[in-house]
Amino acid sequence: MPPSTCLRSFAQLSLDASAHHGIAPRLLRHPTACFSTSAVRYAAVVKKKGLKAAPKKGEKSLNTKKGRKAPGGGDMGKRPAQGERKAQRKRIVLSNDNALNVSSLQDLDSDNVLRQANEGKVMGLPQANPVDPLKPSTVDALRAVEAFKTSQGWSLFRRPAVLMMKEAVQLAGLFSEVEASAAGAPKKTIRRILCGERMSGKSTLLLQGLAMGFLRDWFVINLPEAQDMVNAHTDYAPLPNSQPMQYTQDTYTANLLQQMLKSNGAFLGSTRLSTTPNPPLALSANATLKELAALGMANPELSWPVFVALWKELSLPGRPPVLLAVDGLSHIMRHSEYMSAEVKPIHAHDLTLVRHFVDHLSGQKKLPNGGIVLGATSQSNAPTSSALDFCIQVAEARQKTPDNVPQWNPYKKVDVRVMEALKDLNSDSSDFDIIKVGGLSKEEARSIMEYYAESGMLRHQVNEGFVAEKWSLAGMGNIGELEKASVRWRL
Amino acid sequence: MPPRLNITTLTRSIAFRPKPQLPSPARPWLRPAPSQCRLNSDSAKTAAADRSKREDAKPIEHVSEEAASMAQTMGEQGPDLSQGTPIEDVVKGDKSAQENLPKVMQDKLNSQAPKTTPNMAPKGSRSYSTTTTTPADGNGGPDMGIVDMRPLPEVPATPGLKFEMPSLPLPRDGHIKHRYDPVVEQVTNLLMRHGKKSVAERQMALILQHLRTSPIPKINPARPLLPGAPPPSHLPLNPIVYLTLAIDSVAPLMRIRSQRGAAGGGVALQIPVPLGQRQRRRAAIQWILGAAAKRVNMGSGKGSFAQRIAQELVNVVQGTSGIWDRRNAMHKLGVAARANIVLPRKR
Repeated sequence: MPPSTCLRSFAQLSLDASAHHGIAPRLLRHPTACFSTSAVRYAAVVKKKGLKAAPKKGEKSLNTKKGRKAPGGGDMGKRPAQGERKAQRKRIVLSNDNALNVSSLQDLDSDNVLRQANEGKVMGLPQANPVDPLKPSTVDALRAVEAFKTSQGWSLFRRPAVLMMKEAVQLAGLFSEVEASAAGAPKKTIRRILCGERMSGKSTLLLQGLAMGFLRDWFVINLPEAQDMVNAHTDYAPLPNSQPMQYTQDTYTANLLQQMLKSNGAFLGSTRLSTTPNPPLALSANATLKELAALGMANPELSWPVFVALWKELSLPGRPPVLLAVDGLSHIMRHSEYMSAEVKPIHAHDLTLVRHFVDHLSGQKKLPNGGIVLGATSQSNAPTSSALDFCIQVAEARQKTPDNVPQWNPYKKVDVRVMEALKDLNSDSSDFDIIKVGGLSKEEARSIMEYYAESGMLRHQVNEGFVAEKWSLAGMGNIGELEKASVRWRL
Repeated sequence: MPPRLNITTLTRSIAFRPKPQLPSPARPWLRPAPSQCRLNSDSAKTAAADRSKREDAKPIEHVSEEAASMAQTMGEQGPDLSQGTPIEDVVKGDKSAQENLPKVMQDKLNSQAPKTTPNMAPKGSRSYSTTTTTPADGNGGPDMGIVDMRPLPEVPATPGLKFEMPSLPLPRDGHIKHRYDPVVEQVTNLLMRHGKKSVAERQMALILQHLRTSPIPKINPARPLLPGAPPPSHLPLNPIVYLTLAIDSVAPLMRIRSQRGAAGGGVALQIPVPLGQRQRRRAAIQWILGAAAKRVNMGSGKGSFAQRIAQELVNVVQGTSGIWDRRNAMHKLGVAARANIVLPRKR
């Protein structure tokens, strides 16, 4: 080995002396323990600080600290607390004090909500409970189940009101049909998928359905945003003894129980437990359903057994009809973002809550006391689900041109479970169908525009020419575009 | 062979048209509208409006007439009605009645009183005007933004036309390129970055929606808005008027041009230059946008800048914005430097 390497290795030894505790004291006695003194000799003289010559005139120096603000000065106000910004973004405002009160506005109530004569009228959602003013009203219940969305224009008007379009009246007819069958032995379960163009009022129609359910004292379960169930933002756990493996979402289910408790509190509080939950829960023998739901709410690990027990209670004879609703259907018609233990994506239909909904939507299970299952699609926030799209196309074609039904493109990947769940759309049964939303008539457009004008949001005379102009600008009566064209963009 | 130069075509191709020196178009809330009620016209009065026959509407009798009727009742000789009774005679010696006389007559009575200082400006008025819009006609009220509320005038049918004649005047938003209010258009264009007009238009819509839903502003009397502005309760329902009022109220009247080398001694001479209406608005909008950009962003998401602009506009109307000080400082500087204005010499 050449000597230089040897010297270098010694020098190296002193440099990482901290790694070798045994030799460190000997070698570090002098700071120049390396066999060379040149480093010390040639070391640059340390200049004193502050003696730097002033920059020459006209010479520019790079000052990286220039942009920074002095501490405590300028834009250093108090920042909003954690979660405040998001809360502000997601805030639902349902009234505008500046808007004028529409005196002719009639409220929906349990008598007139299913009336066919409402077609084309703008009706207010009741803000006070007619029986007991202290009890939650329909608007409170709708708010509790998160039926109002930030993208809708509730914040412009004095109080929430909806236009009863022809699709809403059609939906009201379904409610009457189910209620009429309540006396007979075979109770009806009607399933509908709401589809249509972007901003055509699908979510608002779903809200109208929920309002009908609340006003007619149905038991309403709403899954406000299907995306929240599958985007892996909440915890999940395998359901024991399930084959094939299913997964519960405890926090989400507990939150859902809380929403049900807030919105259907009157029924839950007045009904007593008449079955024994399995597995047994820590409840007294004659506890109310409210205590049952509160138990699941407080203990998320119990939330799924509580939900099952609650559903068993609702299935007993004599209980009210049930309205099951979900918004953003295409999110639950594909693989979810959750992963199984084998690091395979979990299909959305393997999540217990989603499966519960899909079983009732596909008709595999019936609602024992009758009811309606509603699923609304979305056009602005929808992942691709070709099976769902195809089934909707087929159902549409069956309604319009029954002799020209599209065929499945064999080169497309098919999601067999979704196709299986929605195969009833391609059959003659009237229980499962779609409701194509969109395209107001000119009378309906005129009705809603008169409401805008009476609220003071539209400062124009509502005459035939104006209505026709805005109706055609709004893509032949797309209600969202109509609102934009007549209220928001009339600058 | 060079082509011959045709002098007549050359002169024809030069399009020299002197720019017409028209005043800038009359703006928002002073639109010429035909007045419905003409106060000085005698024929327009309806029967219900005429109250001259009613007893309580009749004027009080003159002192001499009252004295004459009183004397007639009492059976005495009253004053002669054929001659006028001077007021000075009536109130002569009556101190309490003299105090109630009009000021002119009081001054005439004690004519030995010293004259007050002549040409004194009334107290509490500014030395310069802050009005942005001069009323073109006396009866133009603020434009409430209501479009086409009046029925369009009927146009007589002309034979031989395929479509009927348009009724004039054309609606304000009839042209697709000028369908928005000029102020809204100007703010939108100044909001635009990188040529993205649709983004700017969305922000503009958010600003107007925020103004719509904000509570009624409280007007600070120390910061008076434009004269003739609608009451504050009308503003939120009419966001364009709200926006226009905020911008026009703080719009500066002039800018200060610094002329180098004119003052001597290396000091720039500051010359106030008057601004046109669009320029004034532009200055005000730039101030507002700058102040909004400096505000702390308390929200998240897309619409936060629009929200800050809307808050700044509300602050301007309420008089709490710093832009008012800026405008006043500029006006003060303009007044101080008014001697530097060199007007063209008159012949």
